[in-house]
Amino acid sequence: MVKSLLSCSVLVTALLGVVGCESFPKHPVTQSQKPFNEFVENMPGRAPDVTRSVTGERIVRARSEPQNWLTYYGAYDGQRHSALDQITRDNVKNLKTAWVFQAGVIGIQAAPATYSLEAAPIVVDGVMFLSGWDGYVWALDAATGAPLWRYRHAIPLDTPLCCGNVNRGVAVAKGKVFFSTLNGHLLALDARNGKLMWEKAFADVRAGESATAAPLVVKNMVIVGSSGGEYGVRGHLDAFDVDTGAQVWRRYNVPKPGEPGSETWEGDSWQQGGGTTWITGTYDPDLDTLYWGTGNPGPPFDGGARPKSNLYTSSVVALDPDDGTLKWHYQWTPHDVWDYDGVNENILFEQDGRKLLAHFDRNGYLFVLDRTNGKFIRATRFGKVTWGDIDERTGVVTPRLMPTKEGIEICPGPAGAKEWTHASYSPQTKLLYVPVIEACADFKLIPHEFKEGMAYWGGEATVAGKPQSGYVKAFDPANGREVWSWKGQSPMVASVLTTAGGLVFTGEPNGMVDAFDARTGDLLWQFQTGSGIHSNPVSYSVAGKQYIAVPSGWGGWLEGFAPEMYGASRGTALYVFALP
Amino acid sequence: MNIVRPWLTIAAASLLLSGCQYARLLRPKVLKQLNPRVVRLVNEFPEIDKPNEAIVGRLFAHGGLSHAREGGDGVFRQRISVPKNQYMWYPAIITMPREGELELEFSNDDVVTHAVMMPSDGERQVLFLPVKQAGKVRVKLGQPGLYWFGCPISNHAGRGMLGLVIVKGETPAEARLDRPKQDRP
Repeated sequence: MVKSLLSCSVLVTALLGVVGCESFPKHPVTQSQKPFNEFVENMPGRAPDVTRSVTGERIVRARSEPQNWLTYYGAYDGQRHSALDQITRDNVKNLKTAWVFQAGVIGIQAAPATYSLEAAPIVVDGVMFLSGWDGYVWALDAATGAPLWRYRHAIPLDTPLCCGNVNRGVAVAKGKVFFSTLNGHLLALDARNGKLMWEKAFADVRAGESATAAPLVVKNMVIVGSSGGEYGVRGHLDAFDVDTGAQVWRRYNVPKPGEPGSETWEGDSWQQGGGTTWITGTYDPDLDTLYWGTGNPGPPFDGGARPKSNLYTSSVVALDPDDGTLKWHYQWTPHDVWDYDGVNENILFEQDGRKLLAHFDRNGYLFVLDRTNGKFIRATRFGKVTWGDIDERTGVVTPRLMPTKEGIEICPGPAGAKEWTHASYSPQTKLLYVPVIEACADFKLIPHEFKEGMAYWGGEATVAGKPQSGYVKAFDPANGREVWSWKGQSPMVASVLTTAGGLVFTGEPNGMVDAFDARTGDLLWQFQTGSGIHSNPVSYSVAGKQYIAVPSGWGGWLEGFAPEMYGASRGTALYVFALP
Repeated sequence: MNIVRPWLTIAAASLLLSGCQYARLLRPKVLKQLNPRVVRLVNEFPEIDKPNEAIVGRLFAHGGLSHAREGGDGVFRQRISVPKNQYMWYPAIITMPREGELELEFSNDDVVTHAVMMPSDGERQVLFLPVKQAGKVRVKLGQPGLYWFGCPISNHAGRGMLGLVIVKGETPAEARLDRPKQDRP
């Protein structure tokens, strides 16, 4: 018996050696980790405490400090206009590169073609705060481009994305830099050194949500939107306390049964109703009203899954910033079945003493509303449109072409006649300037069941193989008249910046930065950055010198407007220009 | 009878002691995942299945799966070695049951210098691994999901030195959508 047990033990031991009782090599533990940003030469890891005095009250007066770009659109009104006038129509031909910041990336990326450098840099008293993809935030010397500190959040590879791996910018206030991570966390960093101060999850990646929008500081809150309209989420907007990160409110854009607007949904369709908030809103401090665009209903192309008009999707919602309650709404595209969204910016401007709102929708129409009550004033077609008609005097919508099972060509394509990149309003010329996409698509209806966390398109829209071009256009919002138009080689998908020097700046997918005469549309200056521009150019000054900053780095949801440009040169550079 | 019984005992004991991993391979759920195209690739091109155990056949070099263990201080820990002439991490896939801090001890048993670049909230962490030496790296992974790590020297990552940390779990309750429970795939 003993002998038998002994032989058994020997055999078991031998077998264990074979089946994987591995040993761990014993070597001396001599090495310790080092943060990667400590390998950056001459990066001090600290920045001047310039954002300490930035508050909601100071951002209300952002126009009075044109040397800074204090908030996403430059000011709460969304005009993307700089009052700086050192660079003029006459001297813009002398613009030179002052400095270039190369962000770069290391290691593998998920779906490289979706990466795009899209942010609007924020500038406060000589310090620039810039965000990039994959959780990067940098503080830079705005006069020299020297990096001051860097933060990088660890973003999981499997974050569900609708479209691009991008981030559109940060917000600053009271010594903090706020930004949303791709996987839906709002972070507050110490603006002096980039260290994390607080962090809040506000989107559910397991349900298909993500985040790309720049937060907006209003009063003592930081308000942030989320993405996921292609995953059948229930879109919402969230507000957090600047100091503590405590949640102040959350507002859902698709009502539950019994809530106002629920009569525009049938059955359980509200549960996957979409209406996300992936572009930063604007704010009128006098009316104390927040204006936020809402995304497409879910599923984007299959209207049969969600009959009726689907409030409050593809709309603008006017909200009380203190609690997120609805004051009024206007639906740009009722029962949207073209993925047109309604997220594009709402520009606030005055005309003949009236408080107005201008909005270039992806559905191809420029809307002007009375922003005190949401009353329709006029609509103007600004791009190629075949999906339907909107009466330019009454706003009545008549849909004409819907996605079919066989597929049908409809204009504009799913990225719209204007993508998320922003128009500008110049108080100097009283004109609106807009980047335009001219591309149609074959829209096909493909109904399918919903599974949480999986894409829920209900169809597809194919732009590939169709002509694609674009324009920069100037419109007079007083009468809807097109004042000038400039045709680019490709869809124009960079935000427009106007300056008091009488100039209009934007960028092209081919890498060109362009400067136009705001009155005539004459092309006055160009510079080749080497990679396409799909971002938010801004202007600021340091020590009396005006700068134009243009993030360059091609990518994004290219299949939506320029699928033939997937192979274009990549990049991650911030170009900053000034006069010699 | 006397001959059969010890072998049965040995087989049962070895299956138990090895975690029954080989027996579990026979489950229908696992067998269903055997991709005949991958099997064909490895059969027809055995040379590309070396030196690091199917980098082409399985896309990522596979040093196997292991679960990080939580210490009394709440930090999850695991040890990873770099075997000689393999260009791989062993194990290569580390799981954590939830978000938190992870401390990995890397030991370089290879004949060339390696390094590891790990994701971490705040900034990536770099650890150099000279020949026959070891080091520790502690990172914070604050959200559920998949995170890759790799060796940034030469193209060791491309030849197989890519690893994965899988952080399990759900989004915090306060961030979830207010709606009834939905079907998942």
